[in-house]
Amino acid sequence: MKIKNISNRFYHNPFRKTLWQVPLIILLAFTISIIINHLRSDKIPLIGNWSVDARFADSDGKTLVISLEQAKELFENNAAIFIDARPKEQYEEGHIQDALSLPWQEVDTYFMEVAPILEERLSKIAKVNSDNGENKNISNAIITYCDGESCELSHELALFLKEMGFNNVHIIVNGWTVWHKAGLPVSVEKK
Amino acid sequence: MIKERINYQKILFDVLRIFMGVIFIYASYDKILNPEAFAKAVYNYQIMPDFTINIVALWLPCLEFLIGLCLITGTWLHGATTISTSLMIIFICVMLFNLSRGLNISCGCFSTQTTQDTIGAITILRDIAFLLSSLYLTLWLFFFSKSQDA
Repeated sequence: MKIKNISNRFYHNPFRKTLWQVPLIILLAFTISIIINHLRSDKIPLIGNWSVDARFADSDGKTLVISLEQAKELFENNAAIFIDARPKEQYEEGHIQDALSLPWQEVDTYFMEVAPILEERLSKIAKVNSDNGENKNISNAIITYCDGESCELSHELALFLKEMGFNNVHIIVNGWTVWHKAGLPVSVEKK
Repeated sequence: MIKERINYQKILFDVLRIFMGVIFIYASYDKILNPEAFAKAVYNYQIMPDFTINIVALWLPCLEFLIGLCLITGTWLHGATTISTSLMIIFICVMLFNLSRGLNISCGCFSTQTTQDTIGAITILRDIAFLLSSLYLTLWLFFFSKSQDA
């Protein structure tokens, strides 16, 4: 009777239960997740490519990223339009000189307002740079930016603009910080 | 008198168990449906090596779903409550760590939308409330439960 009691208490010991239930739940979840992912049509690779070029790519997998040097050159040659994808308040606190504001979170509100300005500026740039062969692949470009290495606003906005028919769209990753830190021209609207 | 108090605690235990179960299943739903978007949310935390991000993004929502299921059905409760308490501690620490280094990112707690539910005082307080609930379930099971079926 005593032995039975001891064995009963051992079997129902909460620490013992935890010891086998925790790994079982973890392994079961892992197995189910792998099976579900394998069966679904939009499965993701188990080991993904999280490089900057892959993260900021278009729907065909082609990277939209350009370097700060390229962006600077386009800026100096007046060959690109910069679009700030951050919220309006952050744009007003400081932005790349002559950049337009098109906050991704309110893109539906502001796009119709910004689109004609964008078209007009692009056609002006196209006229001025028509004889310039340099950087032909990215001249007359739209360059979107936001702030932070993992900021997705500029990427979402770039994809949206491509969908809207603007083909030559690029991104500067962590754009505001790198531009500002490099001492390149900025504007402030709010004091 | 003691018996009455234990019954009261058991009712609270059952209410919190089902509440936490629903929370975990609700939290897993959007992430299971959108693994790619959730992988981005995991990446944005910038604490995992790149090669582990997709695996975590697939595994974590399933783990949350399974814990929710265990809590609601009363199965493997010792394991489920231990994992849920550990998860809440990890989530809070990770959010505090990212707030301390100034990262302004989406929580990814209930939604995979990167523009929603930014980490901050509200998300941390919410997770602390979940942690306390989960901790109550764990401690009750370990030290006050007379049940032998969980």
